[in-house]
Parts: sequence; C-alpha cells; structure tokens
Amino acid sequence: MTATPVMVSPPRGRRVRHERTGWGTVLLFLAPALILVAIFLVYPVFSTLRMSIDRGLGGNFTRIVGLDNYISLLQTPSFVGSIVNNVLWIVFYTTFVILFGLGIAVVAMRVRYEATIKAIVFLPMAIAATALGVIWAFVYATDPNIGLLNAILGIVRVGPVSWLGDPSYVNAALIAVGIWGSTGFATVILSAALKGIPTEVLEAARTDGANEFQIFWRIIVPMVSLPISVLAVTLIVNVIKLFDIPYVMTGGGPGNASRVIAFEMYKQDFSAGQFGKAAAVAVVMLILLIPVMAFNVRRFRSSAVV
Amino acid sequence: MAKFPRFLTLPIAAVMIVSACGGGGTPAPAGGSTAPGGSTAAGGSQAPAGSGVTGATITVTSLWGGSEQDAFQKVLDEFNKATGNTATYQAQRTDYATVLQSKITSGSPPDVAIMPGLGFLRQFARSGGIKKISDLGIDPTSLEANYPPGILDPGKVDGQLYGLMVKFNSKSTFWYRPDKLTAAGANTPKSWDDLKALITTLQSKGSATPLALGAKDSWTLTDWFEEIYLRQNGADAYKKLFSADGDWTDPTVSKALDTMKEVLTDKNIPGGITGALGVAFTDGIAQVFGTTAKADLYYEGGFVGGIATGQTNTALEIGKTIDWFGFPTFGGPGDTAAEIGGDEIAALTTNPGVKEFIQFMTTADSGNTWAKTGAIISPVKAVDASSYPNDLAKKEAAQVAGASAVVYDGSDTLPAGAPDMGAMLQDVIQGKDTTALLNTFNTGVKSAWAGEK
Repeated sequence: MTATPVMVSPPRGRRVRHERTGWGTVLLFLAPALILVAIFLVYPVFSTLRMSIDRGLGGNFTRIVGLDNYISLLQTPSFVGSIVNNVLWIVFYTTFVILFGLGIAVVAMRVRYEATIKAIVFLPMAIAATALGVIWAFVYATDPNIGLLNAILGIVRVGPVSWLGDPSYVNAALIAVGIWGSTGFATVILSAALKGIPTEVLEAARTDGANEFQIFWRIIVPMVSLPISVLAVTLIVNVIKLFDIPYVMTGGGPGNASRVIAFEMYKQDFSAGQFGKAAAVAVVMLILLIPVMAFNVRRFRSSAVV
Repeated sequence: MAKFPRFLTLPIAAVMIVSACGGGGTPAPAGGSTAPGGSTAAGGSQAPAGSGVTGATITVTSLWGGSEQDAFQKVLDEFNKATGNTATYQAQRTDYATVLQSKITSGSPPDVAIMPGLGFLRQFARSGGIKKISDLGIDPTSLEANYPPGILDPGKVDGQLYGLMVKFNSKSTFWYRPDKLTAAGANTPKSWDDLKALITTLQSKGSATPLALGAKDSWTLTDWFEEIYLRQNGADAYKKLFSADGDWTDPTVSKALDTMKEVLTDKNIPGGITGALGVAFTDGIAQVFGTTAKADLYYEGGFVGGIATGQTNTALEIGKTIDWFGFPTFGGPGDTAAEIGGDEIAALTTNPGVKEFIQFMTTADSGNTWAKTGAIISPVKAVDASSYPNDLAKKEAAQVAGASAVVYDGSDTLPAGAPDMGAMLQDVIQGKDTTALLNTFNTGVKSAWAGEK
C-alpha cells in the first residue's frame, strides 16, 4: 500500500505544474499591480468621466447634465485658445529642446571640458519651474532697471518691449523659458545616446570621405533617432500637462492670450468652482494624450529602447 | 493741508452723531443689553454677549498673511480679552474657496470664515455650507443700526442675511503725486474732462506718460470700468448690471468702455497699453510712488496708500508726495456715490463661541482695534474716526460715510462661474472688437447666473 502514494504523486506534481501557469497563479502575482492600477489609474479615469457629465458646482456632484459641459467648453473662446497655445508649445518647445539638446551634446563631445558644459546646461533642470518663472519674469520686466532683456535692448536703442504684456510676444516668451529649462535634460539623454554610437562607424564614414555635416545628418541623427523619439514623446506629454510657467508668469494673460489646457482646467476648477467643466477639460486632455501614448507603446513593442 | 480738516468735519460729525444714537442697540461685549429681538433658540430674551459662553475655542479662516494677518490677530486678541473665548486664525492664502469647500464636504469646516467675493458666499449659502446669521440666535434686524445703509446688503442671499461686512476699502480713490501737480501748476480734477485736461497739462510740462496702469493684474481694469459705470449711470443701474438682470450688451456698457479708453491710451501710459499689460498692480504703484517714478497718477482702491507708504517707498509724505482725490465725475446720477470692496464674515458652524465672535465683530470695540492698525476701514458706524492712524485712511472713511450711495465691487458680485471679466477688459483696451467681446461675455454671465440656482 505504500506504493499507492508514490504512484499518485506524479500526477499531483503535474497538476501543480499545470496550476503554476493557470489563471489563479497569474492573477495572484498580478494582483498587487492590478489593484494599484485599478485604484490609482482606472478608477480616477472613470470617476473623472462621471464628473465631466455633472454640473459639479462647488464640488457637489448631484446634477447630471450630459454633454453640456463639453458643448459649453467648445463655445468658450479661452478654452479653444488654450488648445491652440498648447499646439504652439508642442511644436516649438519640443523641436527647439531637441535641436538645442542635440547640438550641445554633439559639440560638447568634441571638447575637453564636456562635463562642465553639460553641468551648466543641466543646471536649470535643478530649478523648480515656479522659480524659473519668477526669474524670467524679472528678465522680461518692462522697466529696463529691472528687466535684463529690455536693458540689453536699451543699449541698442530698441524698446522697451512688453514681452509678457503683448499678446503677439507672450507665447514665444513663455516657450523660450520652457526651452531654457528643458534643454539640459535633452542634452544629457542625447549625450548618452551619442556615446553609444560605435566609433568604427564614424571612422569608416570619414575614411569614405564624408564631411562632418554629412556624418551628423546621415549617421548620427539616424542612429539616435530612437532616443530622440522617446525624448519627443516625454516632452510632448510634459507640455500637454504644462501649468506652472503660465501660472507664475502671466496668469494666462493678457486677456486669455497665454492660457494652456491645464491652466484652463485650474481656472474652471479652482477659480470658477465649476468642477464638472474642469473634469471635462481633463477628459479632453486625456484624449489628446492617447495618440502620444499609443505611439510610445508601439515604439516600445517594436524594439528595445535605451 | 489747511483745507483738509474742513473737508472732514461734516462726515466725521455725521458718523459721531449716528454712532451716538445707534450705540444703545450695539451688542456690547462687556455686559450691556444686546440688541432687541427675541428670535433666539434658547427662547425669550437674548443673553448679553459678555455673559454668554466663555472659554470656548473657535477657528477663523481667511486669506490674509503678513501684515494683514498681524493686524487681524490684534482683533482676535481683543476678542479674547472682551469675551474670554479664544479664536485661532488659520490662513489660507490661495484657492481659498476650493479649500473651504473641501473642508465643508469632509465635515471639518472652520467655525468662521471671512469670504472674499460674493459669488462664493452665495454658492456656500445655497449649498448649506454656511449658517444664516439668524441660525446663530442673532436677530438680523438688530444689526442694521450698527451699519450705514446698504452695507449689509451684499451679505444677503435670497433675502436672508448670511454674511456681515467686517472691513472694506473705498474703490473711488484716485492716487496722485501732489508735488508733481504743484510743479505743473495743476489742481486735482473734479470732472472727467478735468482729468483729461490734467493729463494733457502734465504731458506739456515734461511728464510724457503721466498715468500709470497695472493691467497685468486684470482686476485693476474691472475697477476702472466699475467706477466709470457707477459715475455715469448711478448706483441703481450699477447694481442692476451686476445682478442676474444685468445686460452687458446695453449701450451704457460700451459707452463706459469707450470713456475708459479715452484715458487708457498708448500716449498716456508708460510703455503704452501693451506695456501696462506687462505691469503688475504693485509695479504700477511703483511707477508713480517708487524711487524712480515715471508717472504721476494711479487709479486704484484705498489700499494703495498702505502698500505705497509701507512697501514701495517708505520716504513718502502724506499730502506732499502721496494723496488721493475722489474718482472724477460726469455730472450724472452717480457723482456722489462710492464703490467699495470688502470682506464678509460668515459662520460655518453653530459651535459655542461662534455667535459671540460674530457679535463681537459688529461692535465698535473690534472696529476700533482693527482701524487703529491702519490696515482697513471699518464698516461699523460707531468706530471713532480718530481711530484711523493717518489722514489717508481718515479721508477714505469719510468719503464712504459721506457718499449718497455705497455699492459693492461688481466683479466680486458676479457668479464664480462667470467668464473672466478682467481678461475681457484686457482685450478691450487692446482695441479688440468691443461689441463681440461684450456679446460673448453677456452670454457667459447670463448662463453663470442661471447656473447658480
């Protein structure tokens, strides 16, 4: 009779092995992550969707109004303007941060004091965005006794220019601040990527008679295209969430000329007490982020990234 | 300075006489009988505040910090001395109404809140967040004698009294540099045409851009518009415009905006309109009263005096390098009216000590203590004009006391959900299509009023 348990044990063992790949085990191991994602990601998304169809005046979500919030948003000039401004940010901020970052990384690589240059360029990253805004608000001040930029323009007998008060300059002025603050980040990332290019490739190109310009555009840029695209996605995501620089520097003004989406959400929520409309802005923001995230996920799937 | 006391005599005398008459009805914290009216929860006659609850501790929240907080703390100390109850101050500097709402929703509101802006007062009153004054066992009609007519009106929601004004500033004050006007041989203007003439005179005497404007803070523009609208159309039309019945497409509105644009021009303002849109409220003060002044005139409320003499330039001498004149008139119904901006106190609980605190804030005792700090003008009639520490504040109190009608800051009266009036005006002074802007604004304001119900 002692043989029977021995005989039984192999199937048991097989069953154990089978259970290890079964749903129960899978769920057990996934549970902690799933619960966290459900609480902090999935639930807030649905909760926000629910809020966005409610009037939500002063945070009381008791009256469902359907799509009224969305319709009313589309009729709000400041909201439409904020989307246009965000597009400006996405185009100019992302492009220039990558251009400057790549340029500085390539140039710095060729000099002995590379570490010093990168440290200096990276320095603005260490400054809180609000402090960045305050510093630049001083730089842009109209009074040449305070504003560095107008003091310099004063020397060549131009201005003073009201950088933050003129609707035709204000967005450019703010985007410049953003670029100044993020170029260091791009430099560091791209510098690391450049270091990953094998020297043989570059040497082979030089042997074949390529000039430095050709090497940059035909070899370096294609070889770091993946880090660049990841960087671009990161920057775009950051810019869609952008709030601090306009908040500190202009308060969305003059008029509504420098409002961005996140600032509009803040205004609807904290200033106007219209939580339902603010939630609708959040949903629009989410919708804008989906294609960017989809692109990112596809990139992750297609190949390994730095 | 010689003519100054004469200017003051009448209003001060009026205040004193009225306060002497009204004194009997004032709930005195130190014993005396409180105001008539028997609608207390306890039934029968109201207990005198002084012999009410003692030893209670309540929390009071507002958005003041710095010197304003220090000034208010003196009032709280006086409350403790007078009633034996303690009030603890909690500052909430930003996003005031939202934080307050979340505290109410979470069931732990402060006992008393001082509210900036009436839109939120109405919202909280209708959602049940704040208590009626009568819920505290205070008869609203008993308080009326303590205040000049109209002062209690902003605190009423749907006919019920929820908030009491505890402090205010005049918004009908136009600040200037007396020394610069004297040097140009000019007098302070009475009418709007005088103001325009004064600007031209100053320009001809070497002050290229005499009128400073801090339009980056867009609320300075709402005050400009409100003053002009009030002066041109009178208090009743003003109140109607800033009520649910207001029509922003009315010709009077665009007329007031056109009037505003007569002086707010590229020629008159340092850096022109776009320059002013980059200048903050306090920077605008500095353009007139700072050490490197480049303008001579600045319109904003009575609080400019404290900021200019306390922060911008401590060397300023009242009457010599800083003073104000009443906002210019148009020969219309609103010439003798005054606009004020102020804060409303409201109870969020009926805890022991809350009633005592609200009552204390209606007394001359609290008003005098606060007025002496120079931070505020007290709406309490019994406050002695000599309590104010300087001539600027005394004159400001007298201006409001002597006004034929007192109206409340209109932009603070609009529903919280209304479009940004200041941003709209920033567009107007840039010369954008006023009719289109007003149409959009009118639609937004109308739906915000409708949405409030």
